[in-house]
Amino acid sequence: MSTLIMMDRRHGVRARLASLNWWLVVLLTLIAAIGVATLYSVAEGAWDPWARQHTLRYLFALVLMIGIGLTPLRVWLSLAYPAYFSMLALLVLVPFIGEINMGARRWIDLGGFQLQPSEYMKIALIMALARYYHGLEFKKVSNPLYLFVPLMMIGAPVGLVFLQPDLGTALLIGAIGLAVILLAGLSWRMTTLGAILAVVGVIGAIRFDLLKAYQINRITAFLDPESDPLGSGYHLAQSKIAIGSGGVSGKGFMGGTQSQLEFLPEMQTDFIFTIFGEEFGLVGAFGLLALYLALFIMATNIAMKAKSHFGRLMSMGIGLNLILYVLVNIGMVMGLAPVVGVPLPLVSHGGNVMIAIMAGFGLVMSTWVCRDQDTLRTSTSYYGSID
Amino acid sequence: MRVEPFDTQRHMIFSRRATLFTAGSVLLFAGLGGRLYQLQVRDYQQYRGLADDNRFNQRVIVPMRGEIYDRFGVPLATNRQNFRVLLIPEEAGSISDALEHLGRIITISDSQKQKAVREARRGRAFTPIEVASNLTWDEFTKVNFELPNFPGLRSEVGNTRNYPWNEAMAFVVGYVGAPSENDLQQEENEATRLLYRQPGFRLGRAGLERKHDEKLRGSAGSLTVQVNAHGRVIEEYPNDGDRPVQGQPLGLTIDSELQIEAMRVLAEPIIEPEDGQEPEPVSASAVVMDIETGDILVMASVPAFDPNEFNVGVTSSRWRALNDSPYNPLLNKTLNGVYPPGSTFKLVTAIAAQEAGIKPSYRVNCSGKIWFGNRFFECWKPGGHGTMDMRGSIKHSCDTYYWNLAQQLDIDLIADVSKRLGLGQTYDLGLGTQQKGIVPSREWKQRYFRSTPEQQTWFPGDTLSAAIGQGYVASTPLQLAVMTARIASGKDVSPRIVRVDERGVVPPPPCMSLTINDEHMQIIRDGMDAVVNQWGTASRSRLENPEWRMAGKTGTSQVVSLQRDPVTGKRIRNEDLPREMRDHALFVSYAPYENPRYACSVVVEHGMGGSRTAGPKARDIMRAVLQKDPAMQRAYDPSRDKPVKLSDLQRAAQQSVSGGMP
Repeated sequence: MSTLIMMDRRHGVRARLASLNWWLVVLLTLIAAIGVATLYSVAEGAWDPWARQHTLRYLFALVLMIGIGLTPLRVWLSLAYPAYFSMLALLVLVPFIGEINMGARRWIDLGGFQLQPSEYMKIALIMALARYYHGLEFKKVSNPLYLFVPLMMIGAPVGLVFLQPDLGTALLIGAIGLAVILLAGLSWRMTTLGAILAVVGVIGAIRFDLLKAYQINRITAFLDPESDPLGSGYHLAQSKIAIGSGGVSGKGFMGGTQSQLEFLPEMQTDFIFTIFGEEFGLVGAFGLLALYLALFIMATNIAMKAKSHFGRLMSMGIGLNLILYVLVNIGMVMGLAPVVGVPLPLVSHGGNVMIAIMAGFGLVMSTWVCRDQDTLRTSTSYYGSID
Repeated sequence: MRVEPFDTQRHMIFSRRATLFTAGSVLLFAGLGGRLYQLQVRDYQQYRGLADDNRFNQRVIVPMRGEIYDRFGVPLATNRQNFRVLLIPEEAGSISDALEHLGRIITISDSQKQKAVREARRGRAFTPIEVASNLTWDEFTKVNFELPNFPGLRSEVGNTRNYPWNEAMAFVVGYVGAPSENDLQQEENEATRLLYRQPGFRLGRAGLERKHDEKLRGSAGSLTVQVNAHGRVIEEYPNDGDRPVQGQPLGLTIDSELQIEAMRVLAEPIIEPEDGQEPEPVSASAVVMDIETGDILVMASVPAFDPNEFNVGVTSSRWRALNDSPYNPLLNKTLNGVYPPGSTFKLVTAIAAQEAGIKPSYRVNCSGKIWFGNRFFECWKPGGHGTMDMRGSIKHSCDTYYWNLAQQLDIDLIADVSKRLGLGQTYDLGLGTQQKGIVPSREWKQRYFRSTPEQQTWFPGDTLSAAIGQGYVASTPLQLAVMTARIASGKDVSPRIVRVDERGVVPPPPCMSLTINDEHMQIIRDGMDAVVNQWGTASRSRLENPEWRMAGKTGTSQVVSLQRDPVTGKRIRNEDLPREMRDHALFVSYAPYENPRYACSVVVEHGMGGSRTAGPKARDIMRAVLQKDPAMQRAYDPSRDKPVKLSDLQRAAQQSVSGGMP
């Protein structure tokens, strides 16, 4: 193993940059560029207040991503738990020092930057779970005893985020965590059992009023969005009109009547896909979906090629995390999923998601660079010491 | 590279599951694609339509009301600019806050505020509601300066009804007002209801404005506008919609100059006020009719109200004051004031007597009173008139003469002659309510007392009262003017007030000769000439210019029976009685005597005596009529000519009206 590190040291900057997966960078940049163009259009053809900031954030996040990508994967392995626990600590702190916005306490004000720990928690959770299963013997994966720790690792942030309250993010964190457990090889029997328990839990939650009225409203509006066009279903009805009226070729860049005339709320954030769909039509929307799918398949490919279990689970988890965002957001604006505040990664305006997603792909990049390292440790005595 | 043995298994499972997840994701993406296809291809037309529905809005444009002109084209009801402030509830957020802000710039009454809040609750959040209107230019500029600071408030220049002659034309044109909740509920047409809801729309509420409302209203226009989600207009498409069409103009027979003069004359005080005291308001009315055509040149009633006040909206206290006034400023007394015609009715009785075969030379000796039935009937002149023939009885208005005639006449004959002369009926003027008055007959009495059969019998004493226009007889000033016109011309003239409508100039309806011997009528005309010009009862109402010879008949009708002083037993003078017990004063007249052209009736409520108050007022009005002789001037046809410039006339009118208006 020491030879590998020695080799690393001998490589120059150019060689190290050449070892990066540039296709990944190209895909991310294309998607972010679509975000910039759409935000420019939402502002009625102005760089401010969103498009310029989005560009700058992307450039910063790109540098961050490459930096993470060039850092050896073992560093990230050793940082997995610290990252997870510091994010958990921040989540615990949010109710005390957080900023209230739109009825929820989700942000910590860091002097100009609104830190939203729940977004970073997704990445940290993926890291921590990958780290856990990296060191766990396969035969123990389906053992309920060894299932307890990862479930706790998932449950803690899900509960904290749910209490903020941010139902959408909590569900996404839970989903991505469970996906990693499945990827780690949880037996189908245990999976089925867990699913049954989850259904019972959800019914119980509704029974005992753990969900806020607006959260239940949003879910029922999903079942029949046209029922109450000015109430909770208004967003949905208007966004479907916007997408539908775009047709095959769209109304043209900056030609969206629904969005330009402010029929759509929160256009620059969660409903940005409706403007894109309205202005660029079916062709544009298919193109954007294809880019996301390509990005995901690339992450899958890197995960498949990685020799370390940590790298595999983490890359696949981050790819799935992206796809979950996209599915829920686009499904939501088209009336296929409930309206929960989930942004469209790299396109919606918002710094936290941008940085979290790019940091995640930095980890994927690191996995790519270190794809041939298996155990990531110099010591082989490591395996027995995890538990 | 060394691969740990146990890693092989978990790598294999991972690969399988990763492939499974990838396949699932691709499948879900295909689902998104399918949904996109559904929305953007299959249902495209539907969503396109919905998007356009969102963007485009049909706005109703309130049409301008048709204008009303007098016979020479002088505007009587026009439209003027109305500076107003609208509030869009949705943009304002809190309505009470917005109103409070506005209240700091201009004064808004509490009732206006309440009305705005009520309307905001009723309409949709982006439908503008009127919070202040009829602002002065000063207020309007102030509001426009401050408005950008208050979201939801918008200023606008609209149109509203304007009555340039204020009180003078109140009863001729009537007035308009905002539609009430009741009007909205009764209207079945959705488009009309929408029009009713527009700020600034007005409905005809009284007079011509009400009767001709549909023609005057015009037809609403529409405008397609592009709006944003808040209903704010982003763009207007003036070519895509109907232009509003102004209502039809209406040309009247009224001569505004004479009308204003008549209003002034009527309002002149009848009793000189004691020093430093306000003169008692006069409650009176007058009608001047063209005898040839039936055109009503003057329809004056005092006191009146300002119809502009009703357009803007009267406060309830103002409404109560108008309603409770003993001088009835809301009542058009020419049509709705019903008075015993008193001695003016003697003209009818004299004609009826001749119809019954009594010669005009028939003489009666008046000793001041006669015994009839179980009581004395006393002539107005204590001590009597001596021997009277028919002409003399008119000249001196001798009651005894007519009581004598009444004993030989049948009431049904008198009723028949009354009706032929135009009493006891209404005329189709297209002008609000009109009283029918009473022409008593046997049949009438039966009908009138149908619940009390013992009172249904007609007594000879009833005929005596009726013969001098007292008792049951009742008529309106309009009817008296028609009666006079018919006596003067011998034709069945009918009054009209609309000269020009949507079909153009309406020719006067043809007149037929009355079925009354003209020789009989000539006796009456001679008598009326003598009343004014040969030292009869109205000799002081004689016109100075000998060419303008006016014939007339006085009338004094009792409101209560003759009052005597309980101590001395003498008749109490009218001016010593409280106002409401004083006699009504009437005067009917026509001129010129030789070539009758104008008939005029004047009624002064509690005016004490026809010769004393009504006669002089009639003389002053008739003088103005003859001085101007409108029949000699070309009348106005709005479809041909430009109307007279409003501003000049208005200035002149305000100068002349301000003198004597109540």
